[in-house]
Amino acid sequence: MRYRPGVADATDADVDAALEQARRDPHLGRWFDQHCAFQTAVRNRLKQLPVPVDLKETILAGYGRVLVIVWWQRPVYRALAAAAAVVLVAALIYFRPEPREDKSFAAFRDRVVRSAQRGYAMDLTTTNLGEIRTYLAEHHGHADYTLPPALKKLPGDGCAVLRWQNKTVSMVCFDLGNHNDLYLFVAKRSDLPDAPSTAEPQFVRIEKLSAASWNGGDNIYVLAGSGDEQFIRNYLPGNSP
Amino acid sequence: MTAHQEFELLVNQYYSTLYQFAFSLARNEDDARDLTQQTFYAWARKGHQLRDRSKVKTWLFTTLYHEFLEKKRRQVRFPHFELSAVDQDLPNVAPATINELDSGAVLQSLAQLDETFQAPVALFYLEDHSYKEIADILGVPLGTVKSRISRGIAQLQQILTHNEPPGDAPKTRTHG
Repeated sequence: MRYRPGVADATDADVDAALEQARRDPHLGRWFDQHCAFQTAVRNRLKQLPVPVDLKETILAGYGRVLVIVWWQRPVYRALAAAAAVVLVAALIYFRPEPREDKSFAAFRDRVVRSAQRGYAMDLTTTNLGEIRTYLAEHHGHADYTLPPALKKLPGDGCAVLRWQNKTVSMVCFDLGNHNDLYLFVAKRSDLPDAPSTAEPQFVRIEKLSAASWNGGDNIYVLAGSGDEQFIRNYLPGNSP
Repeated sequence: MTAHQEFELLVNQYYSTLYQFAFSLARNEDDARDLTQQTFYAWARKGHQLRDRSKVKTWLFTTLYHEFLEKKRRQVRFPHFELSAVDQDLPNVAPATINELDSGAVLQSLAQLDETFQAPVALFYLEDHSYKEIADILGVPLGTVKSRISRGIAQLQQILTHNEPPGDAPKTRTHG
């Protein structure tokens, strides 16, 4: 049903098997010929939907009126502003004295999830999860993390090696599309004595993000994203994509 | 290339199929024009944020679809066709029906589809989007897209077959 003549649908494994059967079965073959004619007709008719003759000119004429770029919205200034924000955030994270030096897991989780919301810079920008792991290994981050099945299916966005209370934290970002990301933070369990001791995830809401944390062998994981608890659950260990 | 030149290039390349997709969703010219214009103006404002320029087509169609969903309204309501489960037999659209198809009939039939099938089926036929692109635009898993397209096409064929006027029996028959 999904086959479109002249489009690369034949590379789809399901379609490929059906095409082979249509070639061998005369009755099915006649149906298939009719089906292709239908598909072609519908495609052609839809593509013949008339487009207003003045639409293109109207869109182009509106470009100048709509594009009110205030100077600070220009990309170069946005980049400078972003860089300044990163420096400021880094200074706050690295140098700001903790009022009571809260070294609890809750403080760790709170800090990393908030940093994802305030602004962050990735040390490496790539969609390749293998490259991310290699980068972390080569830059004193964590390379022994285990990704849940659903996260393995996502394209990466990048990674960074962070510090919290002089402890190394690795951040791996996943691209959900539509400018949404998932953030996975990895730390050594030995650096967080009061971290969760079981693989059962614990959920918390921090500002606009939901976060789940769990124990995975030698590592502690915190996964944060802009959805509710059920949304995060989809990407946890034990859930298949 | 300046931003304005890039903008003009994109408009030249995609305004026609974007409008046709908008029209297949909104089913009237005014809304379709608005959706198309708003999509390009969104690109003018925010397109520089797109890191991977090879995904601009998906970005445009996704933005238009989201614009439609946000201010969804139907000015013309078509009766929804009650269909039982898809026939076990392969649906068979007569050659005469195929030959007599016009854009209006296709659009009207598309409007009678189950709501969840309309957008994926329209994208399936317009611009020859791949299944992956359709999944990205609609924000649903690939398997869901394939299922909706298959079921949508089956429904479309049933609607077109059911809408044949009585007495217009196909002049040709398939011989078993």
